[in-house]
Amino acid sequence: MSVNIKEGWEPKILAFCCNWCTYTGADLAGLNRMKYPENVRVARVPCSSRVNPQFVIRAFQKGCDGVLVCGCHPGDCHYVTGNYFTRRRFMLMKKLLEYNGIDPNRFQARWISGSEAAKFRDTVTRVSEQIKELGPNVKFREGRWS
Amino acid sequence: MNDIETKLRETVKRLLADHTVRYVIGWEATRFEDKTRPAFISDSADTDRLVWNKYCVSSLAKYALDEQHSEGKIGICVRGCDSRAVCRLIEDKQLLRENLYLIGLPCDDKEMNICDTCTHRNPVIYDELVGEPVLERQADRFAMVGLMEAMSADERYSFWESNYSKCIRCYACRNICPACNCRACYADQERVGWQGKQMNTAQNQIYGLTRTYHVGDRCIECGECERVCPMMIPVMLQTRKMLKDINEMFGDYECGLPDGRAPVLGEYTLGDADDFM
Amino acid sequence: MKLLKKDLKEALRLISDDFELLLPGEGSGVSRFALWDGGDIDLSYGNTQLPPKDILFPHTEKMYSFKCATDVEVTEEAEAKSRIVFGIRPCDMRAIECMDKVFLEKGFTDSFYSRKREHTLFIAMGCTNPCRTCFCDSMGLTPGDAPAADILLVESDDSFEVKAQTQRGKEIAECFGRLLTDGKVQVSKVSCALKTKMSDDLPEKLSGMFEHPIWDEVGRACIGCATCTYVCPTCYCFDISLDNHGSEGVSFRCWDSCMFSDYTRMAGGHNPRPTKKERVRNRYMHKLSYFNERYGSALCVGCGRCVEKCPANLDITEFIDKVAEVRL
Repeated sequence: MSVNIKEGWEPKILAFCCNWCTYTGADLAGLNRMKYPENVRVARVPCSSRVNPQFVIRAFQKGCDGVLVCGCHPGDCHYVTGNYFTRRRFMLMKKLLEYNGIDPNRFQARWISGSEAAKFRDTVTRVSEQIKELGPNVKFREGRWS
Repeated sequence: MNDIETKLRETVKRLLADHTVRYVIGWEATRFEDKTRPAFISDSADTDRLVWNKYCVSSLAKYALDEQHSEGKIGICVRGCDSRAVCRLIEDKQLLRENLYLIGLPCDDKEMNICDTCTHRNPVIYDELVGEPVLERQADRFAMVGLMEAMSADERYSFWESNYSKCIRCYACRNICPACNCRACYADQERVGWQGKQMNTAQNQIYGLTRTYHVGDRCIECGECERVCPMMIPVMLQTRKMLKDINEMFGDYECGLPDGRAPVLGEYTLGDADDFM
Repeated sequence: MKLLKKDLKEALRLISDDFELLLPGEGSGVSRFALWDGGDIDLSYGNTQLPPKDILFPHTEKMYSFKCATDVEVTEEAEAKSRIVFGIRPCDMRAIECMDKVFLEKGFTDSFYSRKREHTLFIAMGCTNPCRTCFCDSMGLTPGDAPAADILLVESDDSFEVKAQTQRGKEIAECFGRLLTDGKVQVSKVSCALKTKMSDDLPEKLSGMFEHPIWDEVGRACIGCATCTYVCPTCYCFDISLDNHGSEGVSFRCWDSCMFSDYTRMAGGHNPRPTKKERVRNRYMHKLSYFNERYGSALCVGCGRCVEKCPANLDITEFIDKVAEVRL
């Protein structure tokens, strides 16, 4: 199995967005005609705590170059406590990924509310720039069958 | 034969004779001096099969799960790590304390590397103790993790990549682990698609990392995962990393102690740090 | 014919142009058969930790790939590299014989296996240093002999006697040419460290013991991992699965183990082997009885890998002795 990186590479970034805040924020960004990098793919989740740490590893395995998890600000969770669990979970996850050789910028988590369209735009733009700088991710990546 | 072994046999004989327990899980000799095997003694005439020596290394607590829904008490010989495994299983609602009779065995003679960093050589819970408590020793559990952290990201990645490329996915590390007590493991649910059955480094890494994360905040640091690995992958070096982080972020933290503390990923506080976000 | 030990590397070099050479070697602390890098040859490994079965029966093997557009396009694998496995021990050679029976006999030929088998030659090394867990002589093998190998090397202090046992073996031996001298070597008989009371009537005895209480105790210490089956040179069970990427994908087969709970789990959730008792019974019965019924020999070759590696130290030789003592 081998991993082939083509020329003219553009990063693939997966953004898990909470339905109640970040996803709405992204929607608002669209309504306001804000431009953000098209290499970010948004996956809507009911709550940031829906994001199983395994989603993140799987994303890297299947070819994502960066993963972003976004949820409501502390205290604003639609389900009251979901994002508190998210916070702990990814605090440890991030360190474990780093320990396994993943650059810390490849996996990021952010609080973005439904009204923070500009913050959403700025965040994904920044993440996209950072990933571009890091280049394609080959770590954990599953190659094609030879 | 040593004193403790004699005492252990007598104790088990008594417990079986007065029907305190249905059977006792201990260790027995094999054809090799340096190997022992978990033994299940239900007849007081069989107690001479039990041995106690430096090769009694298999973790025993998880065997109680085989009959977790049966009536009557099961006796388990517990060293420090076994007793913590029992605590783990009780806390995870897999075993009931009242269904167990714990025969404590202070343990100070094992020669495995992992035992050098043991901080609980005496059982943390027991019903009766065979032998005298031994001196607990201070140990730096995270020294190896520190060495790993000092390496560069790429070095760390290569280290784990080469280790996981050896993995044959026998799942011994999962099956021996007292924290791995799910009724159905995600890795066995092929149709769900979490874990491909093909063996390649990427799939092995997924398994390794997922396992680490699943048990990381509940690991009792018995090191059985490392002992049973036929490919000699330093599995504990992963879980210890999580424990090190937990210790740094949430204060002193050891699992499998009867202190009623919940696993850190099962709770939260409003003041948790989010400087990483 | 004799080959001096100091000429061994040269001899292998002579055949390395035409063949991929696989030798026992160690990488990251695990010994297994691996491609020869032309370096020094170390034959002191005893039984490699991983058996050589993956040369013919890889852990994961692509069967075919497919693409779905308007039509479905299927591409089969056709791979045939000429390979020589050097230094395989008689127990592992016997194991290859067992695998041959499974994959090539009884009216069905497994093309994935046979393709590799046809292009693989075996140069066996008579065993002079049994491991402490070896018991092949109890299982009817002779440690110094590997009748199925193309060439058998018999080791002495300074040389090997080269015995070509097949036509292909003779052709390889001819490649060694001038390195060979006339003569034989004297070897003392090797005896295994571990003995067990295997007998000719044990397979039949076992087949009548399916419901015997012995099984209640035998597998109790088993933790249900696949170590024994994956280090076993004869375990040949596999599963077939798909790896899909959108409209294309790969069908592959990979090792499976009868020790896993999902091995026998059926659609709807029923499992005819629900606990480790049934699973351990199946493994031992397969090794010592079922295979005899179908193919006329035991599926255990006495290499001792499972005895050495079992996390719970289950020991098939103890089991055989227990069965030998049972009175029916």
